[in-house]
Amino acid sequence: MKPLMRLRIDVEKQLAAFRLQVQLAVDTEILVLFGPSGAGKTTLLNLVAGLATPDAGEIALDGTVFFRRHRPGPPVNLPARKRRIGYVFQQYALFPHLTALENVAYPLWRQRDGRARALALLDRMRLAHLADRYPHELSGGQQQRVAIARALAADPQILLLDEPFTALDTAVRERLQRDLRALQQELGLVVLYVTHNLEDAFAVGDRLAVLREGRLEQVGPLAEVYRRPANQQVAGILGIRNLFRARVVASTPEGVLLDWDGLLLTAPPQAVSVGQTLTTYIRPEEVKILYPDRPLTTAVRYNEVTGTIVDDQIQASLRTLRVAIANGHEVEVRFPLHTYRPLALHRGAQVRLALRREGIVLLSQLPTDRPSPNGPAEA
Amino acid sequence: MNWHPVLLSLQVTAVAAVVLLGLGLALALWLARSRFPGQTLVETLIMLPLVLPPSVVGYYLLVALGRGSPVVEWLGWQLLFTWPAAAIASTVVGLPLMVQVARAAIANVDPTLENAARTLGSSELAVLWRVTLPLARRGVLAGLLLSTTRALGEFGATLMVAGNIPGQTQTMPLAVYDAVQSRQYELANQLVLIMTVLAFLALWWARRLEQPARPRAKAAPLPGATASPSNRL
Repeated sequence: MKPLMRLRIDVEKQLAAFRLQVQLAVDTEILVLFGPSGAGKTTLLNLVAGLATPDAGEIALDGTVFFRRHRPGPPVNLPARKRRIGYVFQQYALFPHLTALENVAYPLWRQRDGRARALALLDRMRLAHLADRYPHELSGGQQQRVAIARALAADPQILLLDEPFTALDTAVRERLQRDLRALQQELGLVVLYVTHNLEDAFAVGDRLAVLREGRLEQVGPLAEVYRRPANQQVAGILGIRNLFRARVVASTPEGVLLDWDGLLLTAPPQAVSVGQTLTTYIRPEEVKILYPDRPLTTAVRYNEVTGTIVDDQIQASLRTLRVAIANGHEVEVRFPLHTYRPLALHRGAQVRLALRREGIVLLSQLPTDRPSPNGPAEA
Repeated sequence: MNWHPVLLSLQVTAVAAVVLLGLGLALALWLARSRFPGQTLVETLIMLPLVLPPSVVGYYLLVALGRGSPVVEWLGWQLLFTWPAAAIASTVVGLPLMVQVARAAIANVDPTLENAARTLGSSELAVLWRVTLPLARRGVLAGLLLSTTRALGEFGATLMVAGNIPGQTQTMPLAVYDAVQSRQYELANQLVLIMTVLAFLALWWARRLEQPARPRAKAAPLPGATASPSNRL
């Protein structure tokens, strides 16, 4: 196992729509760079790889400076070919005039054992039997494995992946996600992984960095960011449903009493001041439907609401209902297809909902009031 | 039959082809891969011989190669009315075709592939040699064929700078003209047949090169076709 490394990124670049300003440290881990289209994710990868030039900043892997401008120290701009960074492009970018083996051997052409090493890598990706095929003769998943093998051929310390698995079907994707995790562990790579798919992020990532319009909104362990988005923007980017604004009516050690346009809800106790209005959400999975004849055993921990079903959607094995409630809003409820079978859940039906108290999340008011474990402080 | 015009034409065209490949490729790469002020001006100037009357192109060359020009004064090359002058005239009129076709082929190579090569340790020269040119080779070859064929058929500018000296600077197109003037129709027919067959074969080959016939060419992704925004959120 290689020693642990740290890639420090501190870059600024003026883009057409906004100014990209990112300070980020990536260790020997998979850091998922998450954000909507056009947030600057690919640009950030290109800056690290040396395919685009920052206006100012510093990029360094431990002691090796890749780029430096308008920062203390002599200016540096190492060309892409000298950075030893593996880059897996969004559409694979395999050389169409070369076979799978020749693609992987591309960076090794001067080495006598280049072909043997390339073949070993293809074998590692379970592709040795396809070594002589051209890219157009391979499936999407196979092409992507060739692309990963090629990116690793020159033994890089950093691996960049730009939405590598989005175009693949679920089974292939899951297998590649496992492969990638194994490779990262085995080779001790610093991995920056761009995606806009949250499931993808959870499947491969250790930490999540949320990028919006060129700025990092939040960086932290995946589950942590998902459970506690720093602000409404992050919640929106993560695709969190049932967002609402509520006013704090009371705050006691037992809990926080919220007023959501006339509906009173209890949330877990936390430090908020009475009278302030907060962005709040409850995940659709945290909303339960109550059986009319069964009393709630832990009634205390639920907020009970009555409403009418206005929409009913079934996707894969999940069913999503939209329920109009008394305060004029709608709540999304999601559950596995066959739960609540005995209940007549159809459009127009009346239902009693339980909003789990622990499921009500209050988003912190200030965008970056918590020190992130990873940020400008160490620059 | 006097074979001198045929051999001279082949000699002139061979020299023109070498220059067209080198100079034309350099210009095509420069124009396809960089943006600079005055680019349209440069492109227009290169294209000009395509539409100017050959006599006008010939006149410019006459001035450029004649007495008092740097070529004569500094380099001491007396090129006028020699076969190298014919080669120069052929190159100048063939260049627009080479640049235009080769440039389109190079512009069609996905820049992401070149970037991939850079991250894999290739210098700019290696990117060119191992990625760009192999992927653009059909277009480059088509451009070379078209421009060489045009060079082979050059008449007007050649007449002005190289003259029409039988046995010295009389290329095939000029020999056809002379043959018709002196009513040697049999000779004219032979020369016309040779020229037509050569031109036909070259054009036919160039057309085939420009059609993506083999499936391998199909796999070359066009920049616009691959990065479809539809599979994004």
